[in-house]
Amino acid sequence: MSKETFSQISPSEFFYRNRDLAGFSNPTRSLYTSVREFVENALDACDQKKVLPDIHLSIKAVDPEQSDPKHYVLTVKDNGPGIEPKHVPHAFGTVLYGSKFGLKQARGMFGLGATMAILYGQITTNKPVTVKSCADEKVIDEFVMLLDIQKNKPVILKHTTKDASKTGLSVSIVLEGDYSKAGSKIRDYVSQTSLITPYASMTFEDPTGEKFHYPRIVKEMPPPPTIIKPHPHGVDVETIRRMIVDTHYQIPAVDNKMIEKIKKELGLQKKSLTTKDMLERAQKRWADLSRPVRTIIALMSFLNVDFDGLQKIRIDDIDVANKKITYWDFGESQSHAIEIDSESSYYKQLANTIQGDTLLTFLTKRFQRVGPTTAEKFCEFAKLKPERRIGSMTNEELVRLADALQKFDDFLAPDPSCLAPLGEEPLSKGIMKFFNPEFASVMQRNASAYSGFPFVVEMGIAYGGGIPATGLKVYRFANRIPLLYDEGSDVVLKIVNEMDWSRYKVKGDPPLVIVSHICSTRIPYKTVGKENVADRPELERELKNALQYLARKLAVHMSRQGAADMEKKRANLYAKYVPLISQFSTELSGKKKEPNYKQLIKMGSEIEEQI
Amino acid sequence: MKNKSNQRTAEAKKEKLLSLLQKHGLNIYDNLDQGKFPQFIIPSRSVNNIVYDKKLRQYILGNASAVRSSRNMSQLRSYTQLAWLAFFVNRLVREGKSSTLRDIYYSSQAFSIDFEDQPESDNIIVDLEAVTLSPREEFHIFPEERSSVFGDLTIEYTVPGYEGKRMNLSDHPDGYLIGPSLSSAELVDTSAELVIAIEKGGLFTRFVEEKVHKKFKSIIVDTAGQAPRSTRNLLRRLNQELGLPVVILADGDVYGEHIAMVIKSGSANAAHLRELTVPDAKWLGVWATDIEKYKLPTIPMTESDIKRIYDLQKDPRYQEGNWKKQLEVFLKLKRKAELEAFSKYGLTNITDKYLPAKLEESKSF
Ligand SMILES: Nc1ncnc2c1ncn2[C@@H]1O[C@H](COP(=O)(O)OP(=O)(O)OP(=O)(O)O)[C@@H](O)[C@H]1O
Ligand SMILES: [Mg+2]
Repeated sequence: MSKETFSQISPSEFFYRNRDLAGFSNPTRSLYTSVREFVENALDACDQKKVLPDIHLSIKAVDPEQSDPKHYVLTVKDNGPGIEPKHVPHAFGTVLYGSKFGLKQARGMFGLGATMAILYGQITTNKPVTVKSCADEKVIDEFVMLLDIQKNKPVILKHTTKDASKTGLSVSIVLEGDYSKAGSKIRDYVSQTSLITPYASMTFEDPTGEKFHYPRIVKEMPPPPTIIKPHPHGVDVETIRRMIVDTHYQIPAVDNKMIEKIKKELGLQKKSLTTKDMLERAQKRWADLSRPVRTIIALMSFLNVDFDGLQKIRIDDIDVANKKITYWDFGESQSHAIEIDSESSYYKQLANTIQGDTLLTFLTKRFQRVGPTTAEKFCEFAKLKPERRIGSMTNEELVRLADALQKFDDFLAPDPSCLAPLGEEPLSKGIMKFFNPEFASVMQRNASAYSGFPFVVEMGIAYGGGIPATGLKVYRFANRIPLLYDEGSDVVLKIVNEMDWSRYKVKGDPPLVIVSHICSTRIPYKTVGKENVADRPELERELKNALQYLARKLAVHMSRQGAADMEKKRANLYAKYVPLISQFSTELSGKKKEPNYKQLIKMGSEIEEQI
Repeated sequence: MKNKSNQRTAEAKKEKLLSLLQKHGLNIYDNLDQGKFPQFIIPSRSVNNIVYDKKLRQYILGNASAVRSSRNMSQLRSYTQLAWLAFFVNRLVREGKSSTLRDIYYSSQAFSIDFEDQPESDNIIVDLEAVTLSPREEFHIFPEERSSVFGDLTIEYTVPGYEGKRMNLSDHPDGYLIGPSLSSAELVDTSAELVIAIEKGGLFTRFVEEKVHKKFKSIIVDTAGQAPRSTRNLLRRLNQELGLPVVILADGDVYGEHIAMVIKSGSANAAHLRELTVPDAKWLGVWATDIEKYKLPTIPMTESDIKRIYDLQKDPRYQEGNWKKQLEVFLKLKRKAELEAFSKYGLTNITDKYLPAKLEESKSF
């Protein structure tokens, strides 16, 4: 029996190790990122439950007299589904706790954003976070919490409840920020978010008390994405390991409910037996026991503990291949690892229970668009036996599997149903409302994929009208998030700049706007700041096609506009000059009455341009 | 006293112009009425279309012409400007009013015919000259510069308020401005047998003082440099209507020589016009050869003087005879002499010695 001790890190250390990755490098950027994280969480929550979002954002200086950087109170309130009270502490108090790990498009991905913002606030101001949540239209729970990163869990300072009638959630933190520098970016962020989320209504109250309101432009929600299984090209060793673990068994929590369940399955409701008697009884009834119960029984046997003992620990890992069980002892606050006795009759039982499916079943059950035929061909390609149990695969085999999944070319293209593009109509309406242009056109490309990740490109073009003639401007979005930083190296800008605009009758500093939206289960961000998108050839091609299509539409508009302008100009000229010519010729010829020149004015405006 | 003019030329010209303008007016009117786009046909004044006519002894326009159509949007504006000018000239001539180039530029604005600048309106005036083949003076449009005339010449005004009134041009020693009323007057009578055109106002005054008009039975005309069109027209009428020979005295340089040439055979700028030339006019001097012959004090030529000689050497009219020879001598001398240079030998030297000598000499060329 070997013992391992995890080293502990302080909350601020954890934060500082990860702050650049998460976008908290300085007070300016941190304020902006915090706004983003909370607003995006609110929008995600509403999207998921198909609620038309109503978002209120406010930033207030704690002491307005002070100069930047200083402490601000940041509050984001939504009308989404809220979070059930028992999950609130975890959602906001633990890192990597999230509900969006499934494969579908969402703004959030890592289960990190909210917690990082809260942590940043806590470290810079030593103030707790306040979360108010109502998930049942009856009660609103208010939590005031500090985070304890050592334990990766929150410390609830205060929990109160009140009556409520609407669901929704509000988060409020105090943090150090620099609004004088971050303000313009935050205002851009809010306004551009309203463009790409035209079904949302948003208000932003800034530290000066100014209110920005973006009303809802469209009343329908775009269709929500569905959660799908991963595409073989889109997984790495780590993902496969996780998939294997969560397919085959879950280490069941040992609570009263579970104990009841075990007693019931063993037919022990009335009697209370010793552990030894219990194990014997289980042996006899093994075939009738459910998988969690089998697991618990086997663990009791290996750890040699009773129910009480089981409740004092948390099983972290059962590694059948290496014959090792790792658990956390709450009493000692330490992690332990013990070896499994492979001679024990429970070893085989446990192994079979948790070794799980054959590779063939694993492939067809756990990946999208993989049938038995493809799976068998793949096994041959990977030189792995189809009937091999995946739970017993060695590390090398797992690496070989992951590698082969990437290289095998006969998988079908990724399923795009997990994507949620905005749709042409809402995008077009958003653009019309936002820019009030003289001309606009939008286009949604069919789904495509890079390295097993499906993506869809949506693009809009707008010209003239309310757009200032200051040259081409590009608005970039990814998964409905505006991208405001680091635009220089972005693939969208590259494509737009490579375009020969003169071929499309666009000259000088045109009043021209391009709106680009890339939707994907994984946006190929170039940098960890999630602000610019890398140039994958597949992505480049889709962007280029969309842009060319729209540019052609613009060119048609421009020449139509040119012809209309010309006709108008002609009409004006003839209306001005013909009556004069008539007047002069009447006097010159000595006539009394003017000639009938009306028809000539009309004809003049209709002449096709010569030359 | 002679009276060589038996028809009333000025009146006839006016009538001819008015009927031409009316004809154009009718044409435009009918086009408009029939739903057709009216147009003007304007003889082309481009360099390619300006040719020297040896018989007429002046520059004329070739056969090329341009259409200015109201159908063409880019010409509509200038078409209208031209129609307006015809209309406006019609009023000027009928009402006997005169105006200047600058006036025209401003008058247009009352009719919402905006000229961008005066050169644009000046151009339209030349267009109408070309269309009607009449000089702008006939339109009663005059340039600012004025020259004068003195001598025994009786004229009869045709301008309103003075119609029929006669006047002798020797009554005022400063001479008479060759303005609109003089230009439109009938030439009635003269005792003169010669017209002397002289380049400079100062010499003109000297000639009057020295009674050149009596001594040489002449009418003296001050061209004030390059002779304005109205002056050239008057010289022509004196020559054609009254049968008087015309001689020219100008500075002894390349510009003086060309002043004489323009009076004689016109300028390329006015190739669209007739009746501005006096083909038989004689250039008395000052010739380049006179500079040595009369030992005149000289001043050196400038760069531009010399360049001007080279330019004129390309002109077909300077390809032979005395015209050619004098240019060559000027070029050789690279010096020039003004008319005033004769004052070195006394103020009356020019009238007493030079003029008679040259007049005598001119009989042979
Ligand atoms: N306004 C909200 N309404 C309902 N649930 C929320 C709200 N905000 C956060 N949550 C829940 O809390 C979880 C944690 O949020 P967090 O921002 O930390 O992670 P994430 O959004 O999943 O990923 P990311 O790190 O990319 O933001 C979310 O997955 C979601 O389940
Ligand atoms: Mg988030």
